[in-house]
Amino acid sequence: MLNMNRSMLIKIFGFTGLAALFIAAPPIVSNIYWISVLILTQIYILMAASMRTILLIGHISLGHIGFMLLGAYGSALLVMKAGFPFCMALIVAGFLSGLVGLALGYPFLRVRGIYFAILTLLTSESFRLVAFNWRGMTGGAMGLMGIPSPDAISIPGLGVIDFSTTEGYYYLTLVVICLSLMVLYRLERSRLGFKWRAIREAEKLAQAVGVNVMWYKLVCFAVACFFAGIAGALFAHFQRGLSADASSIFSVLTSIYLLVYIVVGGENKFAGPIIGAFVLSMTSEFARPLEEFQPMMIGGLAIVVVMLMPGGILGFLGQIRFWWSKVLKQETRQGIKG
Amino acid sequence: MALLEIRSLTKLFGGLTAIFELDLDVHKREIVGLIGPNGAGKSTALNMIGGVYLPTNGQILLRGEDITSLSSHHRAARGIARVFQDNLLFSTFSVLENVLAGLHLRTNMGLRDILFGGHRAHHHDQVLINKSLSILESLGIASEKDELAMNLPHGKQRILSLAIALAPGPRLLLLDEPITGMNAKEVETMLAMIRALRDEKGITCIIIEHNLRAVMGLCDRIAVLNFGKKIAEGTSSEIVENPAVMEAYLGTEENVT
Amino acid sequence: MNLSGQMIWQGLVNGLALGWIYVLMALGLTLIFGIMNIMQFAHGEIYMMGAYVVYYLTASFGFPLLPATATSMVIMALFGVILDRFLFRRLKGQVIGPIVVSLGLTLILMSSAVVFFGLYERSIPMLAQGSVNIFGSIVPKDRILAVAVAVLLTFCLHLFLKKSKYGQAMVATAQSPEGAILQGISPTKMSALAWAIGCALAAAAGALGGSLFMLGPSMGLLPLIKGLVIIVVGGMGSLPGAVLGGMILGLIDGLVPIIFGPALAALLPLLIVILVLVIRPQGLFGVEHE
Repeated sequence: MLNMNRSMLIKIFGFTGLAALFIAAPPIVSNIYWISVLILTQIYILMAASMRTILLIGHISLGHIGFMLLGAYGSALLVMKAGFPFCMALIVAGFLSGLVGLALGYPFLRVRGIYFAILTLLTSESFRLVAFNWRGMTGGAMGLMGIPSPDAISIPGLGVIDFSTTEGYYYLTLVVICLSLMVLYRLERSRLGFKWRAIREAEKLAQAVGVNVMWYKLVCFAVACFFAGIAGALFAHFQRGLSADASSIFSVLTSIYLLVYIVVGGENKFAGPIIGAFVLSMTSEFARPLEEFQPMMIGGLAIVVVMLMPGGILGFLGQIRFWWSKVLKQETRQGIKG
Repeated sequence: MALLEIRSLTKLFGGLTAIFELDLDVHKREIVGLIGPNGAGKSTALNMIGGVYLPTNGQILLRGEDITSLSSHHRAARGIARVFQDNLLFSTFSVLENVLAGLHLRTNMGLRDILFGGHRAHHHDQVLINKSLSILESLGIASEKDELAMNLPHGKQRILSLAIALAPGPRLLLLDEPITGMNAKEVETMLAMIRALRDEKGITCIIIEHNLRAVMGLCDRIAVLNFGKKIAEGTSSEIVENPAVMEAYLGTEENVT
Repeated sequence: MNLSGQMIWQGLVNGLALGWIYVLMALGLTLIFGIMNIMQFAHGEIYMMGAYVVYYLTASFGFPLLPATATSMVIMALFGVILDRFLFRRLKGQVIGPIVVSLGLTLILMSSAVVFFGLYERSIPMLAQGSVNIFGSIVPKDRILAVAVAVLLTFCLHLFLKKSKYGQAMVATAQSPEGAILQGISPTKMSALAWAIGCALAAAAGALGGSLFMLGPSMGLLPLIKGLVIIVVGGMGSLPGAVLGGMILGLIDGLVPIIFGPALAALLPLLIVILVLVIRPQGLFGVEHE
């Protein structure tokens, strides 16, 4: 009992410390480039975390980036062409991605697991090619330029927050990402998450005890796509311009990177993709001069982790904790003897 | 009216006829055996009754309602439960969690319960936990409630499968080879359990087995399948005397051990 | 839009050639998946490497195109066997592991190509010079030859699987792994064979694609995706499904951009896939999966 309280305390301290760090980052770092990096990293974190949510029902989506594209272009166009305010555009973009996820999920989730991975890959590439070629809507190969940043808001007590500055946008992103992660975490730990895990564990059995497997899978996929859309909207209004060419963020490569983030961080825990995305994003920033070798190293890292450290970073830490507690038990026993 | 009526049930897989025009009535509180050598189509028949396969032709009626095209989760809601072959369980869940999963039909899944139900709400819902524990106790495996399902010995895994199936209080229980791979004592326990389910809880049972002798004493009626067709139906004594049945078993070197 | 008969012919012939290149990719993928239950996502990079080997042999050693292609097929087959032996065989039975490893491999191979060969495109000798006059339209000879080569390779595979001892063993392993082991078929031999043949086919596809279309470090992504789509639509493990699917997809890719524009051409395969899966979740020729 005491142990559980202590681990809860550690968790609470950890989170508060982390939160404080994240909140205090901009003034401490006070370098626009690195604050931008942190903004993008947070967006990657949400993408990795929501992609992992799909893993909970036992499916791998290699096309999660396609739903980010939907949210990005969706939000940008809603603001630019339909005059939506940013907050509305953000939410609607999320729902747009979620609804498309729902629609595609119906045929996709009925087929064998590996087909699903292939289909999601096809989907994101198709979305990207459409965005790249549809000059009318998305500017085609020229891209979509001039996306406005959100209007400034005034909060009594804090004054006016201007989101056109990097610091302002950082806090906007921080709030949205934290809320999103909290929702995802809640869902995973809830009865819904339990059903999802049951489906992943033994789908036939879950169906036989009355779980409407298709419905639960659809909900999971739609929720994950919703948050990908939110991430996309945040991306669009930060970059102020979108492009869908083969070297953009919407290419297949990013989907691969997201999967690697999840695997390296540890796919078994909620914090895994967060840690993986953070660590790998930041390291690749620090390793800028080695940019051409980065895909190679990330690919190599992924292979090494799969072969040698299947639980990822968190799995490894968990193992260390396990050994340590065993060592402690040994010492106590010896202490009593001797 | 029979609890379950199967009319002319047929299933083709590509060119292979797995089941051909099966007719069977199962009455309330009966224990019916579906027997036959390996490959006779027994599992296919059970999969169709359970809703895993859609029949190519034919009808299945539950209390007069046509359930032929309903999927398994709808059938579960109508009181059909299943114990699968090969101890299909939620392996990485604990014994208690397995039964909690089985209680899906008795679990509130409202939005409030999902979002605000507290940390791991499902696992802290005392009503559900008590229900699960009582099921585990009645089957004698409550002491292992926190053990991971995959770490249980074979016999206890089988009993856990039964617990999961019984959790929502079904009226029709489908048992897929319930005694395969068990030693004599375990077989005795299982057979007694199944009989008790019928006698004390009024649950109707359909059992699939290839070992005729073992379930002879248990079943009220037996239908024998061979190569997808029903070749005999009757009480155990009638079946044992039936020459067609003998030929089916002797012909495949399957011993009526 | 002024569509001349010539443009349509061009689109048709291009589409046919594209289609058969995709077929070769699909065959390799379905072979490896059928034996090992692993989806080889790095197959596009095998395609790319096969093309670059041909480039190296023709440019630096002056090999003529067809012997260079044959050599490339052998080299890539060996490479595939090595990948099987040291990486993928250990991952047998896992689901996420092989996907991550093959994707990681994709990253490594693609960026290695960029580092060693640079980003700009190269060229390898044409399959055949000049063109032929069919039904009054001009058809480039190399397209025809490419289709001929691909059809020949596919036919050889078909014969191999149907008539040879090893081929039959592969079919048996794909249908029932345990049954095959019981018959004395060595699973390690089968997986090595699947990888070898699969990679050889991808290398051939790369040589054809590189000669007809383009040769660059990112050339492998598109054929990979097309190959994957063919498997889904045609059904895993089905040779006729792969051929039919490949031809349909190739014709779409050849004709639709000309007639309807590139945006629809990108969306159409996706829509077709969705349509097929809604009607038949196991693919056109696939088997109902339990």
